[in-house]
Amino acid sequence: MSKKNEIPEVDIVIDEQKGVIREVKQPNLRSKAGHERRVNTGIYILLVLISVIWLAPFVFLVFQSFRSYATEDGGMVAYLLPKQWSLDNYRWLFNDPKSNFLRWYGNTLLIALFCAVIQTVMVLSVSYTLSRLRFKGRKLIMNVVLVLGMFPGFLTMITLYFLLKQLGLTQQGAIPGLILIYVASSGMGYYISKGFFDTIPKSLDESARIDGATRFQVFLKIIMPLAKPIVIYTILMAFMAPWGDYVFASYVAFGSEPNYNVAVGLYRWVNVNDYQGYFTRFCAGGVLVAVPITALFLALQKYYVEGVTGGAVKG
Amino acid sequence: MASVSLQHIKKVYDNKVEVVHDFNLEIKDKEFVVFVGPSGCGKSTTLRMIAGLEDITGGTLKINDRVVNDVEPKDRDIAMVFQNYALYPHISVYENMAFPLRLRKMDKEEIHRRVCEAADILGITEYLARKPKALSGGQRQRVAIGRAIVRDPAVFLMDEPLSNLDAKLRNQMRAEIILLRKRIDTTFIYVTHDQTEAMTLGDRIVIMKDGYIQQVGTPQEVFDTPKNLFVAGFIGSPQMNFLQAKLVKKGQGEYAVNVQGITVPVEKKHAQVLEQKGIRDMDITLGVRPEHTTVRFDNPENAIESTITVNEMMGSELHLHVVTAAGDNVILRLPTVDLNDATRASLAAGNKLFFNFPGKVMHLFDNESTDSLVFG
Repeated sequence: MSKKNEIPEVDIVIDEQKGVIREVKQPNLRSKAGHERRVNTGIYILLVLISVIWLAPFVFLVFQSFRSYATEDGGMVAYLLPKQWSLDNYRWLFNDPKSNFLRWYGNTLLIALFCAVIQTVMVLSVSYTLSRLRFKGRKLIMNVVLVLGMFPGFLTMITLYFLLKQLGLTQQGAIPGLILIYVASSGMGYYISKGFFDTIPKSLDESARIDGATRFQVFLKIIMPLAKPIVIYTILMAFMAPWGDYVFASYVAFGSEPNYNVAVGLYRWVNVNDYQGYFTRFCAGGVLVAVPITALFLALQKYYVEGVTGGAVKG
Repeated sequence: MASVSLQHIKKVYDNKVEVVHDFNLEIKDKEFVVFVGPSGCGKSTTLRMIAGLEDITGGTLKINDRVVNDVEPKDRDIAMVFQNYALYPHISVYENMAFPLRLRKMDKEEIHRRVCEAADILGITEYLARKPKALSGGQRQRVAIGRAIVRDPAVFLMDEPLSNLDAKLRNQMRAEIILLRKRIDTTFIYVTHDQTEAMTLGDRIVIMKDGYIQQVGTPQEVFDTPKNLFVAGFIGSPQMNFLQAKLVKKGQGEYAVNVQGITVPVEKKHAQVLEQKGIRDMDITLGVRPEHTTVRFDNPENAIESTITVNEMMGSELHLHVVTAAGDNVILRLPTVDLNDATRASLAAGNKLFFNFPGKVMHLFDNESTDSLVFG
């Protein structure tokens, strides 16, 4: 696991005749290996414990979702493994006329997709602008945004609600209203991508501009391909925030059940509706919510860290 | 094919620092001009203003008699090669070179023809499919040059293109640039801090310091007739020797220099210039190039006595660092071809040596203005 064994310990010896000499100490392999094994064992036990704690709720959720609705209780039970495995809960989500699940799921997907597109465009253009262009007030804007960013978003909740109500963007208009809320300040999240753009040598921009590109073409044809990891990161973040949001979604859509997002809808099943009758269905819904996000992450994680600027300039 | 004209060009940065002052230069069509100077002298800034990458604070920049002060870089019909190559890392060498042509919506066959032709000129045909990071420094620089020549630009700008290469490759690329220039025959503006590059490449050299042009001239001119102390010291390797001396007027049109205990008469035509300027006796800085000194193994009259401190063997010549009786350091150049073993042995550090120089190789500089008393 560790490469410690392969790197001999080095001592620096100063010899008057020959100058500085590096002397290689012969490592005491047996005791080293024993010590390392003990340390590693400790680390792995800790890691296993942590992952059990992390995974337990999800495992619980998955097991509950596969419990048979017909033969077992639909609420909380005192055992973990279903006595009878079935897809009852899932079937109900999709087929039952009483279930709004598909509608909610669609709402959420729609909101998240819109946000992912709009927010990504905004974040990346703001970042590029702040990274590359020099204009009056640039520093001021960055500082103001920094300070504004320190206030939690839900401080504006009441104001936003009244504003949206005036615009007719609550309840029936909840979906466009929520999209508006989510993307409104998205340009403020420029820090990470600006930091990334700053690492791309400016001479690439300059070279492209001399080659005949407009600023926009530089952005599109040179910077975007080089910033692929950060683009994907931005899309993921922009998609995930509305996907799992409960706070804003719950009050903007309040009172209009078909316009709930999936988090609000599911929660209301176990909260307002018949808790005993809906718990396993809630769990099934939860699993379905987690699936696309997990899949997205698995598919895109390789882009997270990728040396892209290698070869652009001599380091 | 273009001329470039810089009239009273000035650059002041936002923090009110003026880095280029009143820069005036006319560059003729197909001329190869080199801007040279120590770092921070404003040479790159000037080039970047010509390229359109820096705003011009004052003055007029014309390319082919068209004022381009506020023209976008892409519309100036220029190409530029950067010190760090600035290749697009995500696309192949071929695509790198085709990039400027695609932006111009050139048709595919023409693009292919031009890229292949440029690749052929530069000897990079076999690397066309590679990504830039799979190339060596020299190959990357060739690609960068290739990307510039496919466009057939009116003006070719190069910003220290060889600085990132090792010494051997740099010499090789320098020769290639000379050949390239013959083939594509357009206007070149080349920035470097290396006087050897400047001397070997340029039709004309613009020597800059602290944002001011010090001298403009052909390599021969700036070498033979440096206008001031800075140019004299900057051009030539090893550097010109400078000694404090006294200029003495001997009679009508006759001057001599007293230096380190010897007297050397000033050459006639130089003396006439001094006469016209009405110069009388004064303290000056005397400049003598190492290659213009004569090492004397006998002890002639009118030779400066000195002690060898370092003997550098350069192969075809020796660089002798000596210290004169008055305590000044001087470098002498001595060809090795005629030296016998006994003489070589006598050139060991610590040994005494005499040297002198004829009047015609002397450069006389005013101590205060540092300008040459004779030239300019």
